[in-house]
Formats: sequence, structure tokens, C-alpha cells
Amino acid sequence: MARTTIDGVVAGGDAEGLAVRRRRRRLGVGFWLPAAWIGLVVLGAATADLWPMPAPETIDFFKRAAMPGTVGEIELAGQTDLSEYRYLLGTDSIGRDILSRLVHGARVSLLIGLLSPLIGLLVGGALGVLAGYYRGRVEGVVVAAMDIILAFPALVLLLGITFYLGPSLPNLILALGFLSVPASARVARANTLSLAGREFVLAAKAMGASDLYILVREIVPNVVMPLLVFAMLLVAVLIVAEGTLSFLGLSVPAPTPSWGAMIEEGRELLDEAPHVTMIPAAAMCLTVLSFNLLGDRLRGLIDPRESRL
Amino acid sequence: MSATPLLAVEDLHTHFETPRGRVRAVDGVSFSLDRGQTLGIVGESGCGKSVLSRTIMSLLPSNARVPQASRVAFDGRDLRRLSERQLRQVRGRHMAMIFQDPMTSLNPVMTCGAQIVESLTHHMGLSRRAARDRAVELFTAVGIPEPARRVDHYPHQLSGGMRQRVAIAIALSCEPALLIADEPTTALDVTVQAEILDLLARQQRERRMAMILVTHDLGVVAGHTDEVAVMYAGRIVERAATTTLFAHTRMPYTEALLRSIPRLEDPPHTPLQTIAGRPPDLIDPPPGCRFAPRCRYADDDCRRATPALAGDGHAFACWHPLGAPS
Repeated sequence: MARTTIDGVVAGGDAEGLAVRRRRRRLGVGFWLPAAWIGLVVLGAATADLWPMPAPETIDFFKRAAMPGTVGEIELAGQTDLSEYRYLLGTDSIGRDILSRLVHGARVSLLIGLLSPLIGLLVGGALGVLAGYYRGRVEGVVVAAMDIILAFPALVLLLGITFYLGPSLPNLILALGFLSVPASARVARANTLSLAGREFVLAAKAMGASDLYILVREIVPNVVMPLLVFAMLLVAVLIVAEGTLSFLGLSVPAPTPSWGAMIEEGRELLDEAPHVTMIPAAAMCLTVLSFNLLGDRLRGLIDPRESRL
Repeated sequence: MSATPLLAVEDLHTHFETPRGRVRAVDGVSFSLDRGQTLGIVGESGCGKSVLSRTIMSLLPSNARVPQASRVAFDGRDLRRLSERQLRQVRGRHMAMIFQDPMTSLNPVMTCGAQIVESLTHHMGLSRRAARDRAVELFTAVGIPEPARRVDHYPHQLSGGMRQRVAIAIALSCEPALLIADEPTTALDVTVQAEILDLLARQQRERRMAMILVTHDLGVVAGHTDEVAVMYAGRIVERAATTTLFAHTRMPYTEALLRSIPRLEDPPHTPLQTIAGRPPDLIDPPPGCRFAPRCRYADDDCRRATPALAGDGHAFACWHPLGAPS
């Protein structure tokens, strides 16, 4: 079969190598730089307790709103006696080390930014896939529930949760996760709707596949990528949301450092010591930008392949 | 011919409930197919041929209705009376289907091999190891070069022709007794079309399968089927052994289809002989013969009464068949 071999060559190693090379080239600086920054933030947040620096709550009464590079005397984390310490990023309005608060505050931002979308993704994704696959009554109930959540003012819900359950990190994560369910459900449902109409789902049915098999092996793996891209954007949105909620006193309670709280606390010193606000703001800005860029790159990697299907 | 045919379709109707009314996509189709035989089902777009094949497989969307009287007997069992669970045992294992577009009929996120392995482990109870070896064998059988490497490839790494070969390998994986190929070559270019059709014919002979080849292209059925059924507006209008149908066409619709194929020996700028008008509305079909409004031979009789599909061996539904002594 002469034609077959020609076919084989066209589809063979060459096309494969090209695809790999193209993907490598497409990743580029726009992927690695944001990835490196996020890696740094995650590493900092994970190892915050090991660093030779004061605890985020420790106060140096003599060095309030000190400029970056100022040297002062303060107890380092885990120690009781004072030692000389250089405030690399300065101190805040009541004399706490900004670097230490920034690194510890990254935990709050990352936990909220990663766990809340995860809740939204799991719950919303599952609901969306079920609604999109089974249609009918299931879809009606899910879509109506999602519309109700979307129509309910988010701030009122957060106020209510803070008021009745108290402001704490787990409560905040759960509340923000709950609020991100409808959007994830919509993305999942829309993708499932278009997938369920594709012939490969019909082909799987024609081969005797059950609904469960089709959902788990045919639909979900195809929905995961677009959902992940959406989650990347959600991460960025929720990190900013934490910052905004700090201004309303709805974020984590006071002594715990968070980027939002740091920006809020530095607000009064904006003209004399702008770095108190600007440093956490810059950290938040870079992180959000990085997640957005990564999400964008991820989408760029999926889209052309999708269009070739 | 054995006593019970492999597939017997009797008075099959498939209706779709739409906001405009009931669409009678398949409107009283009967035929039977013996083991090892190949039937071509030909007709233009919207004549119900795809719906017919999906009704046989019980793969209809939820707004489709099949009346109680319709019977699809496969190997003596009425598929219409099987539960969904029993149907899943039949589909893939005993009857399989190939779809029109190999670009969309394979799962983009599973390797080609994995898609075969799944059905082999599910239906045949093979171990994953054995299923993989079997997948390589099947890939070899359908003419995929370097089969051991191809099983680990994703569909997007293969050309259209290769993908259709993978789809055929999946369909053949459990040695089905009946293979339904729904326009298997429509999405492929002409040179690949011939290869795929030859491949299907060879596999059908070697495995002694029955095959239904659904197509809009008379050229496709000509060399590859034992019998041809021509469908128009949800009904079979002519059915005969392939050679008889082409040599002694009786139904004007079939003749019109044949005429509309451009011929190489025609001088340049010969106008294409199209069939005037459009297929009838399946919600409210015209009375009498459904082809009458477009038929060059139609008279008042044709518009009044519906001709029945009649005749042994060569059946046709027409009041004024071609080649009849007038």
C-alpha cells in the first residue's frame, strides 16, 4: 500500500517534533518569569518560619515607618533577646518588619487564592458537567441555583458570614469558594454542552460505554483544561478580593498579616512613608499579574490544538 | 441464506418532536440483512439515512420517538425491548459503528491505543497488557504503519485518513457481527476514500461481518455492496442487488441521482443535471408519492396515491417505473 506509507510519513515523526518545538518556543519569557515569581512567593510562604527575621507581630517601638535598609534591634523569631537586624524593606506604622509580614502575609493570599478557586472548581465543575451532560431537570435546578447565588450580593453574604461565624481564614476561604462556584459551573457546563454533542461521545456510546464512563473518561478530561485556565484568572481575582475585603474589615482578623491588611494599614502614612503601602501593593500586583499571564499562556497552549480537532 | 437474518428491520419509524411539529425522519422502513452481506443505504442529505442507522444502534437524542410497532431484530432479539444495560452489552460487542468525521469521532485527550484498550477490557475481558497487544494487531490489520508507535499517539498527531483507520480499528476491536459505517469517507479526500472503502470491504470479507454502508454517493456503493437501498424522505424507494440497480434502474429518483453525477466524458461546460426543487418537508410531506413534485414523469396519479414498495428481489415504489412497457 504505497499511499499508506505516504500518509504515515506526513503524519509521522516530523509533525510530532514540530509540535514539541513549537510548544517550547511558545512558552518563552512570558511563561517563565511569572512562573518564577509565583515559585518565589510560594517558597517564601512555605519557609517563612525558618528565615532569620522577626516574627510578623514583633514590634520595634523605636523604628516606626522606617525606610528600607534601616538597622534596628529586635527579637528574631524563636529568640528572646534582642539582636541587630537590618529591615531590608523597612517597618510599618507601628514598627513591624515589612519583609517578615510580607512573607507571612503571602500565606493568606495564597491560601485564599488557591483553596477558594479549588472549592469553586470541584463543586462548580462537578455541577456544571452534570448539568451539561444530563440536561433536563438536573440542568434546570443547577442553573437556577447558580443564578440565585450570582444574584445575591456577595458583600452581604460575606458580612453575614463574618458576623455569625466570625472573621477567620477558613471561613473566608469557604465563603469565597462558595462565591466562585457559579462561574466555574457555567464554564464547565458550557464546555460540556459542546463536548456532549461531539461525535466521540456518540462513538463511545456506540462502543457500549456507560454514562459514568463517558463522564469520567470522555468529558471530564476535556473540560479540565479550560477550567484550569479559568481557575488561573479566578486566583488573581480572589487575591485582589482579599485585599479589598481588608479595607472593609472582612478579611482575616488583625494580628495575622495579610497583603490586603498591610496596604490598608499603610494608607494613613502614604505621604511620609509610601513604601509601607507600596511594597505589599507591588507584591500583590506582581502576583496577580503573574497568575493572569500564566492563565493566558495556558490558554494559548490549548486553543490552537483545540481548533485542529 | 440462514433462517433468521442477522438484522431485520420492520416498519421502522423515527419521529422527532420539535416546536414546529413532528418530524418523520424515518417513516416506515423495512429491510433485512444476512450475515456476511453488505447493504448500501443511499440518499441525499436529510433523507433519514443517518437517523435510520442511529435508530438501529439505539443512539437517538432524547427528543426522538420510536413507535411501539417498529421492530429492530438483531440476531433474533428485538433491540427495541432491551434495557439500556442490555443494549450496552450489544453495542460495541456485537454491532459497531463508524462515523463520518474522524476529526471529531476520536477523543482528543486519549491516546489512540487507550481508546481501543478500553473497549477490549470492557467487552472481551482482556488484561490491559493483552488488550494493548491486540490493539497493535488491529492497527496492523487496518494498515496503520508503525502500529506499535501509533498506539501511543494522540488523534491530533494523525492525518484524517489515519484517524479513520483508528476509528475502524476501534469498531472492529470486538469482532462485531454487524458494522454500520455512516458516511465513513465523506470527510476524507478522494484518494484516501478509495483506500478506506477497500479496507472496509476487505475486513468485512475476512471477518464475515454484515455491513451497512450509509452514504450519499452512489459511486461509493457501486463497487462495495451486495445490495443497495435508495432512501427518499424517510422511506426506501428502491431496493435491489447492486448490479441490478445500476443496470435496470426502475425508480425515477434513482435515475435522477445517477444523472446528477458529472461524467468525465462530458464536454466542458456541460450543465450539471441537478434534481430540481428541494426534498419535501418531513413535518408535512406532500400526499401521494413524495418524489412527485420533483419527478419529471409524475402525473396526477402520483400526486394522489402513495405507491408501495413492491417487488421481489428488485423492489421499488413508483407508479410509473422506468423500463416498464407503457
